[in-house]
Amino acid sequence: MSLALLFDTYQPIAGTFDEMIDAEGNPRAHARRATKILDGLTPKEFAHAQSLAELSLYSQGVTFSVYSDQRGTEKIFPICLVPRVISGAEWTRVEKGLAQRIAALCAFLDDIYGPQKILTSGTVPADLILGAKFYLPKVRGIRPPGGVRIPIAGIDLIRSPDGVFRVLEDNVRTPSGVSYVVENRLVTKRIFQSAIDESAVRPVEQYPMHLAETLRAISPVDPAETRMVLLTPGSFNSAYFEHTFLARTMGVELVEPGDLFVDDDTVFVRTIRGPERVHVIYRRIDDAYLDPEFFRPDSLLGVPGLMRAYAAGNVALANAPGNGVADDKAVYPFVPDMIRYYLGEEAILAQVDTYVCTRPDDLKYVLANLSQLVVKAVDEAGGYGMLMGPQASAAEIEEFRARIIAEPRRYIAQHRVELSTCPTWVPGAEKLAPRRVDLRPFILTQPSGSWVLPGGLTRVALVEGSYVVNSSQGGGSKDTWVQKDKSL
Amino acid sequence: MISRVADHCFWFGRYMDRAESTARLLQVTRTLVFDADIPVTQCWKPLVIVAGLEEMFIERFGQENIGNGELVQNYMTWEPENPVSLRTSIRSARESARVIRDVLSLESWEEVNELYHWLGGDEAGALYRQNREQFYRRVRKSTQLVLGLVRSTMLHDTPMSLLWAGAMLERAGQTARILDMHPHTMTLESAHQIVEVAVWLSLLRACSGYEAFVKKVQGRISAQAVASFLVFDRRFPRSLRYCLLSAKQILLHIWPEGDRPGPGHAPYARLDALTSWLDKQEATANPSVIHALLTRVVDDTALICSDIGREILGPPQPEKKPPMASQTQSQSQEPPDVRRPKPEKIDRIGGKAGVQ
Repeated sequence: MSLALLFDTYQPIAGTFDEMIDAEGNPRAHARRATKILDGLTPKEFAHAQSLAELSLYSQGVTFSVYSDQRGTEKIFPICLVPRVISGAEWTRVEKGLAQRIAALCAFLDDIYGPQKILTSGTVPADLILGAKFYLPKVRGIRPPGGVRIPIAGIDLIRSPDGVFRVLEDNVRTPSGVSYVVENRLVTKRIFQSAIDESAVRPVEQYPMHLAETLRAISPVDPAETRMVLLTPGSFNSAYFEHTFLARTMGVELVEPGDLFVDDDTVFVRTIRGPERVHVIYRRIDDAYLDPEFFRPDSLLGVPGLMRAYAAGNVALANAPGNGVADDKAVYPFVPDMIRYYLGEEAILAQVDTYVCTRPDDLKYVLANLSQLVVKAVDEAGGYGMLMGPQASAAEIEEFRARIIAEPRRYIAQHRVELSTCPTWVPGAEKLAPRRVDLRPFILTQPSGSWVLPGGLTRVALVEGSYVVNSSQGGGSKDTWVQKDKSL
Repeated sequence: MISRVADHCFWFGRYMDRAESTARLLQVTRTLVFDADIPVTQCWKPLVIVAGLEEMFIERFGQENIGNGELVQNYMTWEPENPVSLRTSIRSARESARVIRDVLSLESWEEVNELYHWLGGDEAGALYRQNREQFYRRVRKSTQLVLGLVRSTMLHDTPMSLLWAGAMLERAGQTARILDMHPHTMTLESAHQIVEVAVWLSLLRACSGYEAFVKKVQGRISAQAVASFLVFDRRFPRSLRYCLLSAKQILLHIWPEGDRPGPGHAPYARLDALTSWLDKQEATANPSVIHALLTRVVDDTALICSDIGREILGPPQPEKKPPMASQTQSQSQEPPDVRRPKPEKIDRIGGKAGVQ
């Protein structure tokens, strides 16, 4: 039995867009080559390739730690070897939309931590911004060295049944996942080398090089003299693998807060030959743990004085502290307005209609329709603090109703989007079945402009019927194949 | 090189070499039981003693069990509370490796990681039960492979030097301990010739030195010859002299000015004094004083390791706030998602040496 037969029995879910197979059961034009090559493998061979891929990720320690597990168990981020293919022309449009969005968000942050014109203009409600959990009034007036507040962004996209890519949320603080993009490609390449070549897939391995260049571009000193470090909370952080991956592939040192200290508003790293100066910090630590002097006087975490050094322009931080105000889920609905306000353009990328519970009319609608809506806490991530109305029990709905009434500012709601699916290997059943996916592209921005990693992290909800793709909640990943755009 | 990373490199080398020695010692002691006509308890007891675990072991299992081979092997292989069991050493090595993941080569890391997962899985437990010899062999081979990969795939730079300094100093301590396991066989006159030869050969095997030794002495096996080979030989890579001289050279790679007062001087000076002292012992050494010699090597090696730790982590920086001082001890404070403590550093070189 060949996989062609498996594709024959493959049925996209009615009312849902499938990334690879159209409603008639035929491969989409851009996915034809990839599906044809999978065809050459029997299910047994495919299952074997799957297990080899997983074993290889495990031995290499391409893992994440599970927060809920007290013993700090490490798991691999499960990979499904059936790739998700995106056509070149479609990607060109997505790239433009992402760059546009980042430009507007950067302008927004500069404005909010500067003159706050957008608030006086009334384009965005001032109380919503100034009351956001991650708005940092103390950062106002500090100009970030290098001038870019979002050197690294991850924007989550989904595809609705009409086939349109929509922004689901923005991540402009410390987005993670890019290491899996590169590692997944390495694994897939070993197995599907010819398929990747024939499908004219754009490479992703150059990400660390671009990242290093992006970080050097915001250095307060001559790029050639710049010492960059990657700041991690430590080896028990869930994303520690990624921290080591990026440090290794950029060739920069991986440091913990205790390795750094500040003297005379200048940051130093402790080395075996004495203190040495640091100019750029790619920090993978939340704002709150950066500098106890600045954020939490009672805390011993972080590097005391780091924010003084930052304010003095002696060290660049990527990303800038205070960015959380821009990816607040209640601020998200206003991004198209920001694009119009700052860039004078219409948003290229669509997004999902959102009810903001601080607005009385929206609140009323949300409370009346809880069983049909997805409710999200504005300041949570990783699929936590969420109500999936259509799948929730009456008790869960009532619990959320009480929470929303108590703190309307903390919640937004959206209609559940029928996320697009992709053929996904189902272990046990030994066949392909449609499973829902999202996509997190990564955008690197320097003063001279943005660069988008071709592809990004495709996350897949491995459980049948599930809409939650987060790695912490049973999600897996796929290699994302962006094809060369022939029109360019 | 960052102080905290340097510290973990040094300890990674120590843990790896410690795991290898322990596996080898367990394996060899098992054969000693078959080869030498000495009571089984006399084979296993010294192993617990030289590991510095006598008190802990007796408290847990009672005096009567200190020669119980199965119990000793379980304790030295699996016991998580035993600071030098194979499981502890490999877990600590792997934790350090994770911390220094950005300086370790992929190949070395993969091997440590696989060994760690293997040891924690069912397969290792089954092999331990069904084929003990193969089990120790597998652990030894993997640890040797890691140390070999380090040399052949890592940049020969400060991180590797530190790692290797750790391995060499650990090995010097280990060889001294192994040699001190059966000191009575060194001092007795030839009444129990057969027993003693078996013991000496097992000591040599425990240090991978059997073939090298035989080549050198061409069959003339004596206590004096074995001791002198394992202590003084300049070309055998597990002899005390070889390990200490290598460590000395490596320290000069790390701190090129280390032979003068300044950074890196303290451990260098102590090591230099130890090797010079060892040189002087060569002419006068006889098996009856060997115990005293080994004790000094074990104790001084421990001091050298702590000197290195101090050099690596540096004196506390001039801070305006007190909390930073504690962070220089590589026990930095971390955000709340950190659930487990960092690997404990267990220094047993300073433990009690030898059977009295």
